[in-house]
Amino acid sequence: MRIKDHPILDRLEWGNRVTFSLDGKPVEGFEGEPIAAALLAAGHRVLRYTNKHREPRGIFCALGRCTDCMMTVDGQPNIRTCVTPVRDGMIIQTQIGKAIGWKGKD
Amino acid sequence: MKQADLIICRCEEITETEIREAIRLGMTTPNEIKRFTRAGMGLCQGKTCRHLVASILSRETGEPLSEFIPSSYRPPLRPVALSTLANQTKEVPGGGQDHED
Repeated sequence: MRIKDHPILDRLEWGNRVTFSLDGKPVEGFEGEPIAAALLAAGHRVLRYTNKHREPRGIFCALGRCTDCMMTVDGQPNIRTCVTPVRDGMIIQTQIGKAIGWKGKD
Repeated sequence: MKQADLIICRCEEITETEIREAIRLGMTTPNEIKRFTRAGMGLCQGKTCRHLVASILSRETGEPLSEFIPSSYRPPLRPVALSTLANQTKEVPGGGQDHED
């Protein structure tokens, strides 16, 4: 889902199409849009699982404040994907807890 | 979801029950609750829960909110890679920098 005509911002335009990977699977998005936005548009709503109870988390505040959208981006854990622009070839991983020493699904 | 299971601190997953329990056990200031429960010590450093914790404390003790000194603020305001703090140069996602190997 993407907003094409915005009541205030008017008609929105996007950059070039890019392909990045989410947990090894290819996802398409537009260059420069936030990683979390590209994932939501592609139907991926779970961005991480919490550290203590392993509960799923998705976009919450969407402005870089709440840290619910933390994912591992190009090997770096705890990246705020709602304020980080997507680039071609990025390797995104669903973050499990603190992502320390995590090698696969637990 | 029951009222008691309400998450107050989203980063450290601390519930309203845990905050109330801390107050019952004798915590009397936002800072004491923070150090006892870890609410506000996670990735976002209490951007949301700081106010919620203070309001629960106010409700439980009957003291007005204005009587409480807010819990302490600690830098950094957003997650920063240690290599950024070490002043290295390679760009990494999220606007920070990483060191060159």
